[in-house]
Amino acid sequence: MSQPLLSVKNLSIVYEVPNLDVVAVSRASFDVPRGSIVGLVGESGCGKTTMARAFTRIISDNAKITEGSMDFDGKDLAKISEREMNDLRWRDIAFVPQSAMNSLDPVYRVEYQMHEVLRGRGGMSRSQAKARAAELFEMVGIEANRLRDFPHQFSGGMRQRVAIALALALNPKLIVADEPVTALDVIVQRQILDQMRALQRDLGISIIMVTHDISVVAYICDRTVVMYAGEVVEDCETATLLSKPLHPYTMGLKNAFPDIASAGTGILTPISGAPPDLARPPAGCRFAARCPFALDHCRSVSPTLMSFGDDHSVACHRAHEAEALRAQAALPETWGEIL
Amino acid sequence: MSTLKPVLSRTFQLILVLWAVVTILFLMFRLMPGNPLAAYIDPTFTLEQQEALIRQFGLDESLLRQYFTYLGNLLQGELGYSFRYRTPVAERIWLLLPNTLILTFSSLIVAYIFGILAGAWLAWRRASRAEAFALPIVLATRAMPEFWLGMVLLAIFSFSLGIFPAGGTRSAGTEYESLWSLYTSADFLSHLALPMLTLAIYSQGLPLLLMRSNMLDVMKEDFVTMAKVKGLSPYTIVIKHGARNALLPVMTSFAISVGYQLQGNVVVESVFSWPGLGRELVSAVSASDYPLAQGAFLMIAVVVILMNLIADLLYTFLDPRISHA
Repeated sequence: MSQPLLSVKNLSIVYEVPNLDVVAVSRASFDVPRGSIVGLVGESGCGKTTMARAFTRIISDNAKITEGSMDFDGKDLAKISEREMNDLRWRDIAFVPQSAMNSLDPVYRVEYQMHEVLRGRGGMSRSQAKARAAELFEMVGIEANRLRDFPHQFSGGMRQRVAIALALALNPKLIVADEPVTALDVIVQRQILDQMRALQRDLGISIIMVTHDISVVAYICDRTVVMYAGEVVEDCETATLLSKPLHPYTMGLKNAFPDIASAGTGILTPISGAPPDLARPPAGCRFAARCPFALDHCRSVSPTLMSFGDDHSVACHRAHEAEALRAQAALPETWGEIL
Repeated sequence: MSTLKPVLSRTFQLILVLWAVVTILFLMFRLMPGNPLAAYIDPTFTLEQQEALIRQFGLDESLLRQYFTYLGNLLQGELGYSFRYRTPVAERIWLLLPNTLILTFSSLIVAYIFGILAGAWLAWRRASRAEAFALPIVLATRAMPEFWLGMVLLAIFSFSLGIFPAGGTRSAGTEYESLWSLYTSADFLSHLALPMLTLAIYSQGLPLLLMRSNMLDVMKEDFVTMAKVKGLSPYTIVIKHGARNALLPVMTSFAISVGYQLQGNVVVESVFSWPGLGRELVSAVSASDYPLAQGAFLMIAVVVILMNLIADLLYTFLDPRISHA
């Protein structure tokens, strides 16, 4: 396989609160192959958004990348100077935010904000930028005359398209999309996802899709990275993840989402409990307290992310028993007793 | 076009508000104790002479008739005669209004330019030593009574250092061909300096603190974060996106401040013997010159209402979310 576009190794990001360090991302590793869509999935507060932002290095003032590397096309995003980083921003790494309403400046026309990147970052002339903006709007299925509108004049779905058009503006190699469809209804979600998939194929770019919605992952992502409490717990092709998950958390996640294809029982099984406090993470596996299969060993020794089978990594002491665990995990009573 | 409708509806509201103000003013002066003519009528007048005067001023008629006469006169720009000066009130007001407006607007413009720049800068230097030093000073200037500040400035710059004159609008004995040549003369400007500075110091706190807190809020907005992610220049991020959005409420407060400033003027004009509407109002009330006081009140109310209208219209112009809604 060719060199991945982005290779994250042992990345740790810490929020420094007075007298307290919250490790939002803890020694995370995964690859983003060229020309693929990689899902970054996990529940709220698992560190997925923090990590997504780290790829642009625009993180909170009190957040720090404490260790690890982010090798992007031969450059380590964690090490390069601010100037080099700023050169990469938007030209090579673009971003689609969750709320396109708030990410567009309300007082300027969309055209102005388009020109800001096309001319300001892309060095285009006024006429070039005008043509490119119209072309981008066409790519995302909006009429070019809407360029003269203000952000508030667009519907939610349209605004998300505008955000995607903006992200595509300078032909980036990587687009980081942070919950790009979470705020939209399912019909519009599907339209936008289809469009992202088509554009990604046509343009050969890579996308990191941050989401908590496993159905989005199932629909669009080639590979999926599952995060739990700041750690990567499983990383493999999406099809494998859905059919043969190795980590109990992934098994639980699957149970917690409705599956239309096999709408048999209609019962959703939640994973009871809550993620651990990242300021005081527990010893051992972070999922152990909620895991129906946890052994004493799990509560004392932290599992490391290990390769298991071809192209499948997992951080679980009982991964070799996964087949048996999957059978048990499918039963709702397995998840019932833990509190 | 779409911009005309809000203008028309605001203008209609303005007329309603003006009518309400006029009515309240009319009733207020009728409710005051004593005969409105008490100051005008000389005790040596005979009863017939007094009654003739009362008839002449229309005070023997019913309140309702007086009210309509008053409205009718107002529509023609007729504000009555000053008891004290025995000249038309309108004439007196037109003479003094420019002085008040010049003082008000020059001080506010200075205060807002300074406040906006300093506020944006303080937001930029958040949690710094400069902020710890500057904020208490700003709060202190905001808390100072303006007459006290005026007297301190007078004591320093006029009485001790002798840099600026102590009061009035021009040096004794100077004459100018026109009002314009007066207002542009160095003499007038040096007379303007101290009262203007007093009011500017008094009023810079509001725009400064407002700009600072708006800026802090706006810089946390997603679109500012996105501007950073886009790799835009710091100037574009801070000025074009940050300051431009933070400025919106400050512009509204400017127009509204004009109203407050006119109140502040009453005091500062008295301290600096500035022949403006505020000082005239004080002396008219103490001399029971009701027509003049009524006219001055009305003029101040008109300015305040007009500035509110301008604030509304300015906002529709500055914020596309309102004009295109």
